[in-house]
Amino acid sequence: MSNTTTSIAQAGTRTVRFRIKRADGHKKNVRWEEYDVPVTSGSEGSGSANVISCLQHIAANPVTRHGERTTPITYDVGCLEEVCGSCTMLINGHVRQACSCLIDTCAPRDGDVITLEPMTKFPVIRDLWVDRARLFETLKRTSAWVPIDGTYHLGAGPMETPDEQQVRYKLSECMSCGCCLEACPQYLIEEDVENWDSAFVGAAVISQARYFNMHETGASTKKLRLDALSEAGGVSDCGNAQNCVKACPKEIPLTESIAAMGRAVTVHKIKQFFSGQ
Amino acid sequence: MTTTPTFMDRHHFLLRRLHSLTGIVPIGMFLIAHLTTNSTIVWGAINTRAADPLRAADGVVQVGQAGERLARQVGTFQHEVAYINDMPFLVLIEITLWLSIAFHAVFGVMYARSGRSNTRRYAYQGNWRYTAQRWTGYIGLLFIIYHIGTLRWGWTFLQPNNEPWSHAHASSTLAAALRGHEGAWSIGGVFVAILYFTGVTSLIYHFANGVWTAAITWGLTVSEKAQKRWGYVCAGLGFALMGAGWSALAGFLALDYDAARSIEAALHGTPQESIMVQQDATETPHTPTMHITQANTPLTTEGGDN
Ligand code: HEM
Ligand code: SF4
Ligand code: SF4
Ligand code: FES
Repeated sequence: MSNTTTSIAQAGTRTVRFRIKRADGHKKNVRWEEYDVPVTSGSEGSGSANVISCLQHIAANPVTRHGERTTPITYDVGCLEEVCGSCTMLINGHVRQACSCLIDTCAPRDGDVITLEPMTKFPVIRDLWVDRARLFETLKRTSAWVPIDGTYHLGAGPMETPDEQQVRYKLSECMSCGCCLEACPQYLIEEDVENWDSAFVGAAVISQARYFNMHETGASTKKLRLDALSEAGGVSDCGNAQNCVKACPKEIPLTESIAAMGRAVTVHKIKQFFSGQ
Repeated sequence: MTTTPTFMDRHHFLLRRLHSLTGIVPIGMFLIAHLTTNSTIVWGAINTRAADPLRAADGVVQVGQAGERLARQVGTFQHEVAYINDMPFLVLIEITLWLSIAFHAVFGVMYARSGRSNTRRYAYQGNWRYTAQRWTGYIGLLFIIYHIGTLRWGWTFLQPNNEPWSHAHASSTLAAALRGHEGAWSIGGVFVAILYFTGVTSLIYHFANGVWTAAITWGLTVSEKAQKRWGYVCAGLGFALMGAGWSALAGFLALDYDAARSIEAALHGTPQESIMVQQDATETPHTPTMHITQANTPLTTEGGDN
């Protein structure tokens, strides 16, 4: 693989074909378009092409390979360094971030094809841009934050053990990109906002609930999160396919989070049964 | 919220956990007991006490080495069947089992329908396990209905041999039902045997994998390492049960109908059916001689418990 890349790097410029699934809205005027984009190998260090830079190239002169003039392709983008998660899409059928998808790696040869599609678990706004609002609503539903608003000064936060830090640091890396949801067979697209309260929350939110429950101050609202995760769409709607952990670009141990929250909810419910809350 | 939550939503957690529990406690435990019981049609050969009731009184039949083995096998299995039939509160046990299976199956189908399998795009092993868990559930359900329907509810029209299974002749009538014929296999019997193989294999997979996922569901195995380790335990359980299930199936498929019939008859003291079983008669001088009694020797009063 690296051999091919090096030899191409010496070869200089090559052409990569983009097959892009476009739409004017969710399921509206869905069509495929193809663009040929010249790329230069990034052996010089700077200028290594990625999927976003190619989309920018197309936007500068939106003409398909058949010579048809179109419009720039719409996509969501933010950090350009795989920390915001907004550029998540299906690249050659696999869900990942477009900004960190280097052309030298995913299409090393002249004439290679790269297929771009929007994620399938969220409604399409336009072209490759999807609406991930449900994910953020679900974070709210599970109180995925640390409550610090009060009527008095809370003082310095409590100490945390290094062991907990290790676990929590990894969990903190979640960027709500939605890769884990896209890959999950139990997480289905839900366009009706009414149903967001009972549809499966997905791995990211379960993991975030664990993250905030482990926080010394966040633990004060532990019950809210456990209650939310024991309701319809909570942790027990997971079917243990474990795709999420494979799909997560941040390698967050999602299946451990799911089991940890399964345990927490079990204990919470048993306590509730005997104490009546 | 504007919409009133459904019954399923209001009791979401309880129903999910009950589904998991029923899969293990009444149903899974029964599966283990059922498969080990059935495998005695093969492993009963090592049960030296099995032929005791046959040997106990004056007999009319002398049996050679192979006959002795067969008597142990059929004797042990018949003993197990009689033992189960004489269990106290059997009705209660059965009702619990029925309700559990019905509940687990109905909710299992609903839960299975709530997901969309995507192994084509994400061909991970875990994803295949997930998908197989659902398929084996469906196959298992169909198999259970056929199995109970034919052998228990007497849907003999679905049996190529048309002969109902009977408690008194548990081994022979089962062998005939599986082969679709008392003696050689019938074409229909081939399908029945394949159905049994598929059904048994599916349910064992479903149970073993279910025990693995249940440990995650309940939060027993949290770390990836623990999940892996528990996975080996569940795989071990699965393979052991496959051994039991497959040997039982093979044992019944290979069972000599007439010989089994006469041993059963002797066990129940039905003289007219007690025909001679003289398998390797040439060896009789050196091998232990077994007498099959005609007197009514109820199996369940036999001291040797297995
Ligand atoms: C009769 C038809 C059956 C169907 C349709 C069915 C369906 C299912 C489904 C879909 C699941 C996954 C639930 C989830 O992960 O959310 C499941 C889990 C399970 N099933 Fe079944 N099943 C059936 C019969 C059985 C039988 C006969 C057994 C026992 C041998 C069994 C044992 C289990 C176990 C132990 C689980 C794991 C529960 C968990 O993950 O917590 N099932 N079943
Ligand atoms: S383990 Fe659960 S959350 Fe993760 S992909 Fe599977 S079903 Fe979805
Ligand atoms: S858990 Fe991973 S895949 Fe899921 S949203 Fe967070 S970063 Fe993305
Ligand atoms: S733009 Fe932020 S992850 Fe790609």
